[in-house]
Amino acid sequence: MKGIRTVSPFVLAAAVLTIAITPSPRLLAQPATTQLSRASDNSHTPQWSVQVKTVDPGDASISASFQIAIYESLLDELSKTKKFKQVFRDGERTSSDDVANLLILRTKVEKYTAGSETQRAVTTVSGATKLTVRSQLCSQDGQVVFERTVHGEVLFMGSNLRATHNLARNVAKTIKQSALPAPSISALAQNGQL
Amino acid sequence: MNVAAALVGDRSFRIPRSAMMVLILLLGSTAGLFAKKGSGTANSTVVFSARATHLLGFEGAKKNSTGTLSIQDGVLRFQKGSDPAVQVKIDSVQDVFLGDESKQVGGLPMTVGKAAVPFGGGRVVSLFAHKKYDVLSMEYVANDGGVHGAIFELSSGQGRRLRDELTALGAHASSNDERKQSKMEVSNERN
Repeated sequence: MKGIRTVSPFVLAAAVLTIAITPSPRLLAQPATTQLSRASDNSHTPQWSVQVKTVDPGDASISASFQIAIYESLLDELSKTKKFKQVFRDGERTSSDDVANLLILRTKVEKYTAGSETQRAVTTVSGATKLTVRSQLCSQDGQVVFERTVHGEVLFMGSNLRATHNLARNVAKTIKQSALPAPSISALAQNGQL
Repeated sequence: MNVAAALVGDRSFRIPRSAMMVLILLLGSTAGLFAKKGSGTANSTVVFSARATHLLGFEGAKKNSTGTLSIQDGVLRFQKGSDPAVQVKIDSVQDVFLGDESKQVGGLPMTVGKAAVPFGGGRVVSLFAHKKYDVLSMEYVANDGGVHGAIFELSSGQGRRLRDELTALGAHASSNDERKQSKMEVSNERN
């Protein structure tokens, strides 16, 4: 009885708190193992690389600045998705390893409605800049693995070029959400990943 | 007449020899200074220089940053304040396009201010608060062969000057119609 009395209630409270706060060794180990398994998954799962081609204006009377802005924004946004191992520019020299798992992104403008920032500011309801493009991801042998029509627009605030940024973000989002087929086995063998 | 000649003529010959020597030395030194400056500019000739806003694409430069765009020693250079300059060789510029754009002035603060004006007064302000800019777009090829595109916004009239200077130095300038035509030709050749 005497021994029990000597233990301070503060010490007891501290001990209880320590036990309550400290997670069990099993719980501590769990995230580490999942991280390890994820890392190992990444090391084994082959990833596509993508090469972005310059924008084809099609029949739309779109200005060169818009084509360039779409191309540059696509490069930016695709890099942000982390869906691809590498994002290459049009004409960029790629190593043989990259070529094996390379997809080519072609973008063709289908529809373009020129807007006006002043008109938007004055009327609010008119003067929107609208863009519609056809995006295709093709493999090296010309097989289309992804094809979508994507829109981008500026309705209220912002400069006309903002439509290109919105469009590129939508393209990248659509590609990210889509399930691309795994790179072919022959490509993997060529790449030394098998 | 005689009086005037006596007043001017006599005094003109009374400049002390030492003062003359100082004057000659002074003239000589300034001439040397000018000659030195001249040789300095001959090494790095600034063909064009103007304030510009980099909208996107020029590798190494921040988006929507305003700085000085210049052509010097066969390179197109963009420098924002004291930041290190970013440059590309004019030889690598493949195509230059010129366009114009009308923008609302004042940015976000102005937009908020206009929205706060009662009875739609902000819309009337918007009708007049816009400015025309030249938009110069260009395509260039980097060392790795990759195609880059860059867009700059310059005050009205400067874009044309820059395009002319770039074409004079060997860059190719084309209109949108030409570009479309060449693309169509390429696609026909493929078919």
